[in-house]
Amino acid sequence: MEKNHVIELLPEYLDGLLNKTQKTTVEAHLKDCNSCSHELSELKKLFKVFKEEKETTPSGNLKTNFFEQIELEKQNNSKVVSLDNVSVQGKNNWTNNLLKIAASVVLLVGVYFFGKQQQEQISGKEIAHLADETQAFKQTAMLSLMGNKSASKRIQGVNFIEEFSDPDEAIVSALADRMLNDENTNVRRTAVEVLSEFTASETVKNSFIKALKTEKDPGIQITIIQVLGKIQEKKAAASMQYLLEQDDTQPYVKEELESVLPNII
Amino acid sequence: MKRIQITLLALIFCSILAAQEDYTQSLDGIEWVKVESKADIIVRTHGEKQLRIKAKASSKKPEKAKGLKLLGAGGSDNTDVGFYVVKEGNNLIVRNLRKWNNGNAEIYLPANQNISVTTNGTGQSDIRIYGFKGEIEANARLNGGIKIEDVSGPVTANSLNGGIDISFVEINQDSPITVYSTNGALDIKLPGDTPANLSLGSVNGEIYTNFEIKFPEKNGLKSVSTQKIRQTINGGGVKLQLKTTNGNIYLRKE
Repeated sequence: MEKNHVIELLPEYLDGLLNKTQKTTVEAHLKDCNSCSHELSELKKLFKVFKEEKETTPSGNLKTNFFEQIELEKQNNSKVVSLDNVSVQGKNNWTNNLLKIAASVVLLVGVYFFGKQQQEQISGKEIAHLADETQAFKQTAMLSLMGNKSASKRIQGVNFIEEFSDPDEAIVSALADRMLNDENTNVRRTAVEVLSEFTASETVKNSFIKALKTEKDPGIQITIIQVLGKIQEKKAAASMQYLLEQDDTQPYVKEELESVLPNII
Repeated sequence: MKRIQITLLALIFCSILAAQEDYTQSLDGIEWVKVESKADIIVRTHGEKQLRIKAKASSKKPEKAKGLKLLGAGGSDNTDVGFYVVKEGNNLIVRNLRKWNNGNAEIYLPANQNISVTTNGTGQSDIRIYGFKGEIEANARLNGGIKIEDVSGPVTANSLNGGIDISFVEINQDSPITVYSTNGALDIKLPGDTPANLSLGSVNGEIYTNFEIKFPEKNGLKSVSTQKIRQTINGGGVKLQLKTTNGNIYLRKE
């Protein structure tokens, strides 16, 4: 019993992890016990080998060999006796086992990282695919809402643009169509407000210029004039001039035009 | 005793006569009732599942028009109460043919009916709507104002020159409420616990509210600056957009 007890402490003794009393007990025992001091020297050798061993990086074929390795390991394991009986079984088996276990650990870790990397690649593709599907779904929902009979629902559709970080041309065109052709003033005005966030688009700019000639609601006219004035769109000057010359243009709309036009030309 | 019975009978007979003068129309398969008018128009709810247009003494034809039909811009009187009513798909078009205010034309509909009311009069042509639970669209295209009471939305209201007053009993969270005007003021009353995403904007007018809208630089909650305000109240909910060009906005907590 005593022997075994000290053998169990040897690895920690070598690593300097024992407290003083344990250390003195082990050292006292080692002087008396040949088998234990022999064990100690064997352990020292083993530790040295471990230190000299270079870290191996697992290669791709590790995965394919994995199951064969497991089979091999199983057969070996059945022959091997547990670590507690090492001293009885002999030193060579003991060190072999330890090395095999170390190899298995390295193998497992390697397979883990290999698998993880593979999985990340796959899930990355899946996420991209899902994002595409969500985008398509949102687009369908938005277009269908904008075709609804109820003005409130069409406005909901127009506001749906907030769900898109980078709306494509189809959506922008559908919004421009609502702005130019919807029978309800609130839908057209909401479309103007929403589109004023996308003045970098040529489609949007051209629709605004077109709306200057077709839109009869003074509230919407003023909003469009302000947006075009802000981005100093030179192409809008002719349409603004046209609106300014119309008899039915409201005086406050003309005022707005007169204040914006000089900055554009 | 006999005299009382005769009087009663006479009274009943009279009331039946009066009732017969109302115009009624079934609403089977009708999704939207679209009312158009150049004069003031009042839309109310009733317990019947049909459209009823109240006949008013003042809506009677002048003596000289006996045997003749009233012609309006959008059709001829097919109701005997001065309206032209026609089905178009699942819409029911109800057009007021008179151009002057004939003692307020009143239309009665079930409370859950979706209605769209448009006035286009050069004179005063106000829209008044009371107590609907369905969707409401109201457009006062020229000089009329809009008053909508005891409704739950969604409401889509627009006016050119008239003001818009709306008081909500609750807010339907299904789809957005928009109230826009060019020159009119907006006066909107909501229950204090309404969850909503507010978007308020006035180009030249002011915005007033007693909802707690947080502004870093403004103190007090009386005037909350002009231009655009986006805020959530009571944790956020359906979108509520109030916009004017030249009018003020008053948003009240009930």
